[in-house]
Amino acid sequence: MDKMEGASEPRKTQCQDTSKCFQLLESILDGELENSKEALKEKLAKCQPCFEHFHLEQAIRDVLKNKCTKQQLPPSLAESIRSKIQEMK
Amino acid sequence: MSDEQRRKYSEAEKTAIFDGEFMPHIDSMYNFGYRLTFDEDDAKDLVQDTYLKAYRFINSFEKGTNAKAWLFRILKNSFINEYRKKSKQPAKVDYQEVETYYNSDNVNYQQTSDLRAESVKDMLGDEISNALNSLAVDFRTVIILADLEGFTYEEMSKILDIPIGTVRSRLHRARNLLKVKLKGYAQDMGYETEEEEDL
Repeated sequence: MDKMEGASEPRKTQCQDTSKCFQLLESILDGELENSKEALKEKLAKCQPCFEHFHLEQAIRDVLKNKCTKQQLPPSLAESIRSKIQEMK
Repeated sequence: MSDEQRRKYSEAEKTAIFDGEFMPHIDSMYNFGYRLTFDEDDAKDLVQDTYLKAYRFINSFEKGTNAKAWLFRILKNSFINEYRKKSKQPAKVDYQEVETYYNSDNVNYQQTSDLRAESVKDMLGDEISNALNSLAVDFRTVIILADLEGFTYEEMSKILDIPIGTVRSRLHRARNLLKVKLKGYAQDMGYETEEEEDL
């Protein structure tokens, strides 16, 4: 994705419409747009602000997903719920 | 809900649904509760409350549908209706107001941060968690649902009772606020950010 396949010219340093592009990129990253691979590849190859925004947004989603501290489930919780439900029956 | 719509499950079916579809989500539910309240006991109460409600209203749950979203919705409502009322926490930003201002059509997707992807990738779990935890609860919630729990915009719309456009704009805004926090950490760590030259 980082490679500029077949593109001889450098990426544009200014994006024509960051508002539209960034919203599109964020929707793609959120999995809300299907079949967007080709369009995405082309966009990232051509536009530096889009390229940077995409990678930053991707990095943020990745660290949130993989690095956030998780709390250990208290061992007695499930059991306590089950016994309360028994009482309800 | 009419009697016809109410699916009457037998006791055995109820138990099967509860054990097979509800209980597998207890870990995510507890973490959601904890990230909303930052308190183990409150998180436990919220989760227990949610599961008791889920059982009581099990007939309005359609077997085989999205149990996780259904449970998250109950937990979120319990949090808003019960926990927040009795909580001594000062009221956070009223964010219906925020939302009116930053409604879905007015969100401006400009570059708002000079944070670099590389410095984000190098951050520690604690830093990411602290940044997330420092956000107002309503912004924190959308990030938890989308990025930590993997809910779609549509599922989030149902969990939070807000339109999909609002989910999108709230999420965008929440991540921008997160970037501001992360940028602060990046600078503290001595990572170069593009803006530093101008400071």
